[in-house]
Amino acid sequence: MKQWLTNFLTHRRDLVQSLIVLAILFTFAVIFSPRTRGEYTYNLFGLSCTVEHWPIFLKIENLTDLLRANSPVAIIALGMTFVILTGGIDLSVGSTIALSAVVCATLLVEQQTSMATAMIASMVAGGLVGLVNGGLIALLRIQPFIITLATMIGIRGLARLVVNNEQIGLVGGQSDSAIHFAHIMSQKSVVIGAFLLLAIAFGLLLWGTVLGRYVRAMGDNARAAQYAGLPTRRVLAAVYTLTGLLAGVAGVFTCARTNNGNPNEGIAAELSVIAVVVIGGTSLAGGRGSVTGTVIGALVIAILTNILGLNNVDANVQSMIMALVIILAVVAQTISLGAVTRWWRQWRGSTTN
Amino acid sequence: MNAPRPGHGYDEVMTPSGQPLLTARGVSKHFGGVVALDDVSLDVFGGEVHALMGENGAGKSTLGKVLAGALPPTAARLTIDGKPVSIRNPLDAQRLGVTIIFQELDLFAHLSIAENIAIGNLRYQERFAVSYRAMAQFARPALSRVGLSELSPHTPVHSLSVAQQQLVAIARALSMNARVIVFDESTSALTDEAVERLFAVIDQLRRDGVACLYVTHKMDEVFRICDRITVLRDGRYVGTRPAKQTDMAELVRMMIGHDVRSDAHAAACATDRPLLSINNLRTAGLRDVSLQVAAGEVVGLAGLVGAGRGEVGRALFGLDPILGGQMTLKGQPYRPHTPRQAMKRGVALLPRDRKAEGLMMQMSVRENASIAVLDSLNNLGWIRRRREAQQTDHVGRQTRLKAAAPQAVVSSLSGGNQQKVLIGRWLLREADLYFLDDPTRGVDIGAKEDIYAIIEDLARRGKAVLMVSSELPELLRCCDRVVVLNEGRVAADFDARRTTQEQVLTHATSAAAGHARPQAG
Ligand SMILES: Nc1ncnc2c1ncn2[C@@H]1O[C@H](COP(=O)(O)OP(=O)(O)OP(=O)(O)O)[C@@H](O)[C@H]1O
Ligand SMILES: [Mg+2]
Repeated sequence: MKQWLTNFLTHRRDLVQSLIVLAILFTFAVIFSPRTRGEYTYNLFGLSCTVEHWPIFLKIENLTDLLRANSPVAIIALGMTFVILTGGIDLSVGSTIALSAVVCATLLVEQQTSMATAMIASMVAGGLVGLVNGGLIALLRIQPFIITLATMIGIRGLARLVVNNEQIGLVGGQSDSAIHFAHIMSQKSVVIGAFLLLAIAFGLLLWGTVLGRYVRAMGDNARAAQYAGLPTRRVLAAVYTLTGLLAGVAGVFTCARTNNGNPNEGIAAELSVIAVVVIGGTSLAGGRGSVTGTVIGALVIAILTNILGLNNVDANVQSMIMALVIILAVVAQTISLGAVTRWWRQWRGSTTN
Repeated sequence: MNAPRPGHGYDEVMTPSGQPLLTARGVSKHFGGVVALDDVSLDVFGGEVHALMGENGAGKSTLGKVLAGALPPTAARLTIDGKPVSIRNPLDAQRLGVTIIFQELDLFAHLSIAENIAIGNLRYQERFAVSYRAMAQFARPALSRVGLSELSPHTPVHSLSVAQQQLVAIARALSMNARVIVFDESTSALTDEAVERLFAVIDQLRRDGVACLYVTHKMDEVFRICDRITVLRDGRYVGTRPAKQTDMAELVRMMIGHDVRSDAHAAACATDRPLLSINNLRTAGLRDVSLQVAAGEVVGLAGLVGAGRGEVGRALFGLDPILGGQMTLKGQPYRPHTPRQAMKRGVALLPRDRKAEGLMMQMSVRENASIAVLDSLNNLGWIRRRREAQQTDHVGRQTRLKAAAPQAVVSSLSGGNQQKVLIGRWLLREADLYFLDDPTRGVDIGAKEDIYAIIEDLARRGKAVLMVSSELPELLRCCDRVVVLNEGRVAADFDARRTTQEQVLTHATSAAAGHARPQAG
């Protein structure tokens, strides 16, 4: 156990630092959270206890709310971690959310298909967008930024075309399956559960599989990866396809949560996704990063938005604070713990002398 | 800055007298739990070439980096001209006149030669607007000193060969007019002609009173240009000897603690089964190359830089498009388009530039060693970790790798040990034909013999080996045959046991006589 801990502290310093940022933020959230007026009764696993002036932030409803609200972005961030690890980027995920959402709503409401069909079709649509991205990047050897910038624009157009620039509401129609879908797929347990399962799956994918190893190797040194005979094109195709697929999943959840297939959904979502990944300690240069880091990054963003919202901070000020936190979080990762401990020892030495 | 110091003519410097230019006392450097340097002391005099020797991982580069401010030491007391100094970063070092030519080159690949020389150079007067002309002018004298004057200073560094990049790094250090220069295995990538030129430069530096700290694994160099030799072992100071009062055997004992057995020649295991035959091959770097390699045969490729030695490997490994001619591998036509295809046909290539083409620097030793064999460790997409550990640990022992742990990142290894990781990668990959481009680059004298034994073992198991080396004696020692290339053509084909260095050199240079050829390393 102790061995494991020292190993973790020395080899996963990046994670330790993200965790510290998360812990600090959490503490701040608790301190600055507004309190409940009266009593609040906790109901956890059958145990219940009643507390007074409990921070609203810590209420179970609030915590699950913030998790659900951020799940779509967090889910895409899992795939984006892989993309960024290869040294690439995917700007098209926001448009893909919209495409998936409108496909889902159209099928449910206008084609009256079953819930499963609509969901699978939406995810396949997302996966296809990713496959196009990955295929073009691998075959044409053009920078991912450019290819996905192009598909970002093109897919947004496609999404609007599918629904003729209109929004398709899920409720109010005659489709039972649509109402059913909106009900089930917006439940907290479903959304958060899906995120947790996907996070574990992608964590294992990166940690234990050949694909994960190849992804890191390519981002670390693309030329050496080629010289070592890695199937670089297939890896690129796989990574972008997975990310597209996850954007499709996020689109399904967004559609259910908003009761709406909106072709303007997810504008600028790619930037939030990238922010999550970067806060999680994944290097945009490729080769270094982890899924655990991304999960932490997602929590950081989620808690921050939540606590700002609870305090009714103006939305524009929220964006400015968000900017500050992104920078601080990334700076925190570049400070070496060694320097901090050295500084600490010196400081202690100078005060005792 | 460079005023010659009276009384230090280099001929008399046996045991220098007077005040050392630089002294280091009690230098220690810890990386976490790894002790790279433990209480090392060193004196370097002006006008002396001081060799620093020791096994891979002994701490030579770490000491050089500490002196040049590239690494903060855990403990160190340094003086220059007898005055205590503290060197906290490379800029401090530059101000005090100390500079280093790193073992792992640190040039900006996408900048030009001139930019690389001028950037961060205190002697280059920055202007408000960048003047490429001024930079080029600043770079030129140093470039001509190292023999790169034919190249335009505006050439981007990534288009240069490793040897040329090494010379650019040397030119950069020279242009700083330093009083102490650390050369960290600067000749490991250079050809003989470039080495000669470098030695001439070092001779001049010595006459100018500059102190050179010269890290190398090459014994002949040490006895040719060095005045005194300091040996490190496992991060500790072993001793300092005047070059004239010691010999190779003593140095080897100081370095590794025992003698090194050295055979005159590799055992001949060549069969008469042809494994590879190349006929009239033409690529961007080859004009017309024909050669045969039999199973169990070790064939050396000799020649000058630009003669096409590495290009044979690039063609074999699907890295350069084939413009003409045929290749036959194991009786089948062979024309790979990617390294992956080449590997599927049983070809392996150990690249020359381990940093750019070989290693994933942020990944671990184990991950680097196994990356080319993951398809065989693949269990429904999962890596068989236990088997991976067994196999990589085995090659680690075979190459006598010295690393803190198999999980340590490769960038934390010493240069020679990084090379061993790369060799291990290709040993793990079972192939029929191995193209080894300078396999012992930066490897210490004991481990070199281990690598020769590994090559011999490959031959014994019926593999074919094509080998390039920057050291001719090494080719003659390891190979059955030596094929001499000259400007993309085969100039001669010798039995390695019956040929001499002079013969090989004559054919490597002869046809080129009369041509104006760039002398670049
Ligand atoms: N950044 C680092 N982190 C951890 N260990 C390191 C780091 N840099 C060097 N070391 C360790 O310090 C020791 C000395 O390394 P150094 O590079 O000085 O060896 P060297 O004598 O130059 O060897 P070589 O002949 O192979 O170049 C090695 O054991 C190496 O693993
Ligand atoms: Mg070294």
